[in-house]
Amino acid sequence: MNLTPAAGLELRQLCRDLGERRLLDRLDLKVAPGECLALLGPSGCGKSTTLRLVAGLDPASAGKVLLDGEDLTDRGPGERQVAMVFQSYALYPHLSVEGNLALGLKVRGVPVRERQRRIEAILDLLQLQELRLRRPAQLSGGQRQRVALARALLRQPRIVLLDEPMSNLDAQLREELRPELRRLLCGREQPVIYVTHDQQEAVGMADRIALLEGGRLQQVGSPRELYADPANRFVASFLGRPAINLLAMEPHRQLGLRPEHLRLGDDGAVAARLQRREWWGHQQLLWLDTPWGTVRVLTAPETPLPTEPRLSWQRQHELWFDPRSGERLAHGRI
Amino acid sequence: MRLLVLLWSLGPLLWQLRTSLLRPEALVAPLLEGSPWTLANYQLVLSGDPPFWRYLSNSALVGLVTTGLTLLLAVPCAYGLQKQRGPLRWGVGLGLVAAAMFPTVLLFLALLEIARSFGLANDLLALSLPYTALSLPLAVLLLRAAFADLPVELEDAARLEGLDLGQRLRHVLLPLLGPALASTGILVFLASWNEYAIALTWISRNDLLTLPIAIARIGGSSVFTIPYGAFAAATVLGSLPLLLLVLLAQRAIVSGLTRGAVKG
Repeated sequence: MNLTPAAGLELRQLCRDLGERRLLDRLDLKVAPGECLALLGPSGCGKSTTLRLVAGLDPASAGKVLLDGEDLTDRGPGERQVAMVFQSYALYPHLSVEGNLALGLKVRGVPVRERQRRIEAILDLLQLQELRLRRPAQLSGGQRQRVALARALLRQPRIVLLDEPMSNLDAQLREELRPELRRLLCGREQPVIYVTHDQQEAVGMADRIALLEGGRLQQVGSPRELYADPANRFVASFLGRPAINLLAMEPHRQLGLRPEHLRLGDDGAVAARLQRREWWGHQQLLWLDTPWGTVRVLTAPETPLPTEPRLSWQRQHELWFDPRSGERLAHGRI
Repeated sequence: MRLLVLLWSLGPLLWQLRTSLLRPEALVAPLLEGSPWTLANYQLVLSGDPPFWRYLSNSALVGLVTTGLTLLLAVPCAYGLQKQRGPLRWGVGLGLVAAAMFPTVLLFLALLEIARSFGLANDLLALSLPYTALSLPLAVLLLRAAFADLPVELEDAARLEGLDLGQRLRHVLLPLLGPALASTGILVFLASWNEYAIALTWISRNDLLTLPIAIARIGGSSVFTIPYGAFAAATVLGSLPLLLLVLLAQRAIVSGLTRGAVKG
């Protein structure tokens, strides 16, 4: 994917301190041209901070932001050619859709004819022609998001940043818009960073996911890598729903087993007793009492339950963690 | 209930209007003969020398210059204060509140000395200097609150689009602050329009008097009777421009509010 070794966006040892607090700690990250990277993590993990540093809205306390090998760290937000879609969309409430799009171009002195041509093109691309004279207050959530996206793409940015662009929309609309957003954003030549706290959205939108927690990068990789080969307990429990079972079987090791990897049968290593059953339609989630505590098991909805159910699993699905640090221990060791 | 509030606040004004239209004798006892109504009070006020509109325009000039100057200074102050973090912001904010609460009356003697030593007496434009200084704390506080209400992301979006500070203020922030600017402006204008102590001491030339002083002087010519009717007529005439101003600004305030904010 990389044309030259330096192409794309690179964050090098990026830090951000606010007073005594370190919001972001030595982040190293690369995003290739045309790649969509999701920054995923719980609120306060540093993902929005990272985005603001890339955009230049906040100054970095240490480290560098490089684009195609060019150092952007000391440039202001207006000189970086970065476009950003905000969570609230941040449309200018006193201007029409057209006015919202035109303001940036006008200020930068783009001639009227050129301005008009570009606005028409983007209005067509995002199917906003009929809404062009409306004010933001007269638009639905989905329409506002499209306008915000149009404003971001209009300036032909070198980097596109999206800060939880879907979190103001209802779940159904979110799923409908995801492929559309992918079509518009990804596979162009710019790197795209997509911030979200929703793992489904991250998996649906991104080529790779960078998982953050407490201002530190936990792991970066494809969704499959993060799911199958988590670097630590946080990654293992953040990704995958229902969440992984963490069992304190031994004093110095903790066993992680995903609910979808557990089997219930007449024979198995552990005895279990059914506590509760959640029926999800395509699957059911069973809550079982075991000697190590409650364990969640995902099975097909009509699976008959044995009279004395026992749990079993395959050795390859075991994930072992250090109970104190949460670090992953070497695979399959006993 | 609403009617009660309406009567409560409009009552004095309506009484003033009635007084201004009555013959002086009709004020104390019902007249036995003839109509109690007259326009003589207005004739008296308007036929004075210099004519009444002169005072009106003096006050309007001072008021407009004061309002313009105050807003011009208050907008950057409020913006800067809003962006400020830490103890400085807190301290300056507290200082402004203290300044806004300070009783003006305690200042006018000192101000008079200043006027004397800088040769600012009998100058309408100079009069707007102390007025601006006195209005500034409140105006900055009001506008700062208005800036604080604007979502930060709006300005961030504008910064990303390459708008510099002036452009952000002109194209994004100030249009959204329209209602706040209008209401702050009205308050400043009113304060200047009604101010008495400083105007009394700074202005002595008859043709440069502002409205409150001119009205007070109406009574000065007669010792034994107080010309209530003339007072009332002058007050009514002096309130008309304010009424017009508030009506106009009210339209701006209301239309600003219905524009719709960022909220989803």
